[in-house]
Amino acid sequence: MKTSNTSRREFLRDLGLSAATLPFVLNLPSLGFANQQARKQRLVVMFSPNGVVPSTFWPDEEGSEFKLKESLSPLEPFKDRLLTLHGVCDKVRGDGDNHMRGIGCLLTGVELFPGNIQGGSHTPAGWASGLSIDQEIKNYLQANDATRTRFGSLEFGVMVPERADTWTRMSYSGPNKPITPIDDPYQMFSKLYGKLKDRESLKSILDDLQADLKKLASSVSAEDRQLLEEQTTFVRELEQELKADAQQAVGHAVPELEPGIKEENDNMPKLCKLQIDLMVNSFASDFARVATFQITNSVGQAKMRWLDINEGHHEISHSPDSDEKAQEKLTRINKWYAEQLAYLAKRLSETPEPGGQGSLLDNTLIVWTNELGKGNSHTLDNIPFVLLGNGLDFKMGRALNYDKTPPSRVLNAIDQGVDFITGKSIKPGKVAHNRLLMSLAHGFGHRITKFGNPDFCGDGPLSLT
Amino acid sequence: MFLGVSTVCGADRTGEQIYQQVCASCHGLKGEGTIESYPHPLVGERSVGELTEYISKSMPEDKPGTCVGEDARKVSQFIHDTFYSPTAQARNKPVRVELSRLTVRQYRHAVADLIGSFRGAGRIDDKEGLRGEYFKARGFRGNARAIERVDPVVAFDFKDKSPDDEKMEPHEFSIRWEGAVTAPDTGEYEFVVRTDQAARLWINDLKQPLVDNWVQSGKETEHRESIFLLAGRTYALRLEFSKAKQGVDDKKVKEKPPAPASISLEWKRPHRITEVIPARSLSTSRPSEAYVVTTRFPPDDRSVGWEKATSISKEWDQATTDAAIDVATFVASRFEEFAGTKRDAADRDEKLKTFCRRFVERAFRRPLDDEQRAMFVDRHFAEGVDSETAVRRVVLLTLKSPRFLYRELGARSPTLRVGTSEANKPDSESQATDLFDVASRISFAMYDSLPDQAMLDAAAKGDLKTREQVAQHAQRLLADPRTRSKLREFLLTWLKVEHVPDVSKDSERYPEFNATIANDLRTSLELFLEEIIKSDTSDFRQLLLADGIYLNGRLAKFYGAMKDDAELPADAPFQKIDLEPDQRAGVLSHPYLMAGFAYTGSSSPIHRGIFIARSVLGRSLRPPPEAVAPLAPQLRPDLTTRERVALQTKPESCQSCHAMINPLGFTLEHFDAVGRFRKEENGKPVNATGAYRTRNGDEVKFAGVNDLAKFLADSPETHSAFVEQLFHFLVKQPIRAFGSNTRETLRASFVKDNFNIHRLMVEIMATAALTTHESKPQTPTTAINQ
Repeated sequence: MKTSNTSRREFLRDLGLSAATLPFVLNLPSLGFANQQARKQRLVVMFSPNGVVPSTFWPDEEGSEFKLKESLSPLEPFKDRLLTLHGVCDKVRGDGDNHMRGIGCLLTGVELFPGNIQGGSHTPAGWASGLSIDQEIKNYLQANDATRTRFGSLEFGVMVPERADTWTRMSYSGPNKPITPIDDPYQMFSKLYGKLKDRESLKSILDDLQADLKKLASSVSAEDRQLLEEQTTFVRELEQELKADAQQAVGHAVPELEPGIKEENDNMPKLCKLQIDLMVNSFASDFARVATFQITNSVGQAKMRWLDINEGHHEISHSPDSDEKAQEKLTRINKWYAEQLAYLAKRLSETPEPGGQGSLLDNTLIVWTNELGKGNSHTLDNIPFVLLGNGLDFKMGRALNYDKTPPSRVLNAIDQGVDFITGKSIKPGKVAHNRLLMSLAHGFGHRITKFGNPDFCGDGPLSLT
Repeated sequence: MFLGVSTVCGADRTGEQIYQQVCASCHGLKGEGTIESYPHPLVGERSVGELTEYISKSMPEDKPGTCVGEDARKVSQFIHDTFYSPTAQARNKPVRVELSRLTVRQYRHAVADLIGSFRGAGRIDDKEGLRGEYFKARGFRGNARAIERVDPVVAFDFKDKSPDDEKMEPHEFSIRWEGAVTAPDTGEYEFVVRTDQAARLWINDLKQPLVDNWVQSGKETEHRESIFLLAGRTYALRLEFSKAKQGVDDKKVKEKPPAPASISLEWKRPHRITEVIPARSLSTSRPSEAYVVTTRFPPDDRSVGWEKATSISKEWDQATTDAAIDVATFVASRFEEFAGTKRDAADRDEKLKTFCRRFVERAFRRPLDDEQRAMFVDRHFAEGVDSETAVRRVVLLTLKSPRFLYRELGARSPTLRVGTSEANKPDSESQATDLFDVASRISFAMYDSLPDQAMLDAAAKGDLKTREQVAQHAQRLLADPRTRSKLREFLLTWLKVEHVPDVSKDSERYPEFNATIANDLRTSLELFLEEIIKSDTSDFRQLLLADGIYLNGRLAKFYGAMKDDAELPADAPFQKIDLEPDQRAGVLSHPYLMAGFAYTGSSSPIHRGIFIARSVLGRSLRPPPEAVAPLAPQLRPDLTTRERVALQTKPESCQSCHAMINPLGFTLEHFDAVGRFRKEENGKPVNATGAYRTRNGDEVKFAGVNDLAKFLADSPETHSAFVEQLFHFLVKQPIRAFGSNTRETLRASFVKDNFNIHRLMVEIMATAALTTHESKPQTPTTAINQ
């Protein structure tokens, strides 16, 4: 709703910069590197839709000795930096169907407002009634001089439909305040580097401008000339400021984007790559410490023709477990998403941490997640949470399972709360995903005691360190 | 002491001698003042008679009453003619047309028109309201359209009913309104969509909604967003509304309980309150998208009463850079559309260059010569530079160039005289007046923006050389909405209310006077001004004499006193009402001004008197010698406001100005702090008699507002002041730089034209646009020896 023009001004205003310092801000990249000393921590939340095929997704083993199954096989090179969390459930109920709550409550941990958006079942709903964890962490980092960055957070997307509704929004800056992800890499580029390009253009015209001013000054009266001479001085000052900026900006190479990639289904692989490259670059320049990466949307209908799959993703995800062909396709689809995650991890691991130790991946945690546990049941239990990277000092290289109930007893236990063999009341082994959201904040040193609906925050953050 | 005085006032002394002996020690040899005694120049507008009276009574300060009679008259005459009077000042101070940059308003309008010139205006019509299409479905499918009509405003509470029982079901329908909204003022507007259903609102940019509430979530029913708009322009508007569940179509749901639905489209204009957008601000036009520069600029210097743009600052320079970058980014994002070409077209580069040349020419308001074309256009399209970068550079260089940023710079550059057209050849005539300068003078004066194509064509053909030719264009431009908007702003400035004063009042004394009444009052005044602006006679005197006033139901109830005891229903819209004729006169007694020139709990004859003296009569008043807090009414409850003011301004040091201010302000004492007519104050009858001594020295007496208004409407002083202020507001250069007789000549033609403000604007243009500007200042004349 806002133009990029106003957002730049808002940004300047938000920083409380006066007009006098504006020229220096032309070099926005140097505003990065807010803190050269302390360790920079980052969080990326990557989203893919329509659930997974549990049997080809979750490792059978628990602990550090585990094998990656087909869906996660592209992550093999990063196995020792991987943490899979089975048994984490989205327990938020209320208005909206599971796809809506699946994405709307995923990062917010709180109910949707009643509203006018009708899902495939259940009652209609509106937007989430609270902010999302990425924004909570961003606000925490932005509130501190040492961790504040130019943007705080960046919301990337790939092929997000041109409609704002509950199914297409994952991040919220507050109740009823969904954030629109930027799914056009060129738009993201101009948000990130527009000022740099402006600066180059500006530099290129200053000589002409000086010459023009000189010519004009010689043709007016002495009194009027004063005005033009004043402007000449300002232009000279601008030139010097731009020069000083250019020296500071060394090392902030602007990435080259392959031009003309249209936003079309078949371009998804290229679009993903462009967005990932931009994200890695913006981390290297410390434009932001938090990013979301939303590939399509809840109920996403990507047609992965490059995998020889011609049906839409959501359509296939409704197929029963018995439809082996469909399950095989779904496995391939999720494997492709895992490949995107692997590419992101690879790029981060290859990029040295500027002014710090190790690589960007050493200081970044990626959380890959989904609005559903499983597509054909629409369950919000066992939401895929796959964590990669060492940004939050979690103990990585493990497969955890919070679902302690033997599979055969699961249904009964959930329905009745009793173990039908022993007859004893059991505490379901699964954990609410609010607790994982809290762990993410705690990983940044932001020790919140609840997040989203407090009823699901009992026992505090999951201990992952 | 007595001896000394008698020597001074000897009968054979000239006025000059008396001045040098008695006055110069404090006032300086040429009336310039002295630092020790009187550090102000002796300048003003009193008549010789007034000066004589003042000097006799109070000068010299240490021995008042020692310079009287013929001596006082002689010394007054000398002072008056040598340096004191406006004519003497004009002689003494050289004035010239100074190099001026675009004012902030001019900058914004010039950029809007520059971009707009590549898009066309769209379709503008005068029909009020919005086109409404009603659909018997949740979406806007053509085959579901059931009603088409024009709705004057959008303020509907459908409850749980259908808009039309015969044509659509109550539980599911949608409406799309389209048209345009006109912004009266420049500034930040808030648009508010109030609804319990799905709704989306677009303003100006029809691709990106300003307000998007297609997801109705939770209990929020007020959806508000801001947008910066320029005054006098019309912006596209579209509003979509849908009473239905969105998302998955729930056709199979059988049960459809009745549910309420409502929608209203409101706005909050700058410094006003939120209200339903009135029909007069809506139209069924289809304007093209306008480009609005939203960069913040430092405000222009208005200390002389008009926007004087003869200085620049670092902040201003930075703002021009920021704005140029924004415009360059915008143009670069759609240059192919502007240039009428496509990515792979064979003649793409040629088309782009042509576009760039036009862009530069329009920005500079004149054709380019070969050298300039190379510098501003061609060289940026060099090898290895992609065309987007080239266009970006051209735009940046153009908008940073003094040729765009300054008015009347063009012709001063020798290279610019060698134009491509005949009229620009450096023959003796075009040396004197560059016709493209003439075109710019007309356009910037009439509507603060670039000359239109008709004027540029006329300049190129040499058809802007005579008064008649200039007048013809000025006449044509009177109907331009930008011109009307400028005139409107001038009238508000003339009335000293251009910045929407705070008129909140003491809520105990005036419990019914609230923000809504204050907002209505402003609207009432604006409607009156707009009526004058639109009328063909645009008679200046009507501003002072008209007995009608625009009231709605609320105002009528509050202000009452309608003629023949007429009444308005409480929800009546604005309409022109005749009040008791002896109680009101034109804008002078308009309750908005009366409330504005008043304290929260009492009237203020001083503020009212100063307004009449300064703004209406054009008298210059110095600031008070010391800041004085007004005497609080409760300290002297036995006194009327008039008596209190008289008491407080009794000292001689006050009287030099208040002798003029008070008797003018007292004539409006029938109007209390909220502008209501009153016959009594504190149980005492109101005394609204007043007086004024003209510049000729004549004493005029008034028995109230009607006498005052009649006097002012007929007074040459009022006419002169109006002429001068309008000239400055339009031309933004001192009127004296256009010849010492210009004001008088214009005044005479104003009288001859029955005080038609439109005609006066045309005359101002005919005078100012063709005046040759000296680039060298005149040599100051030494008045003292004249």
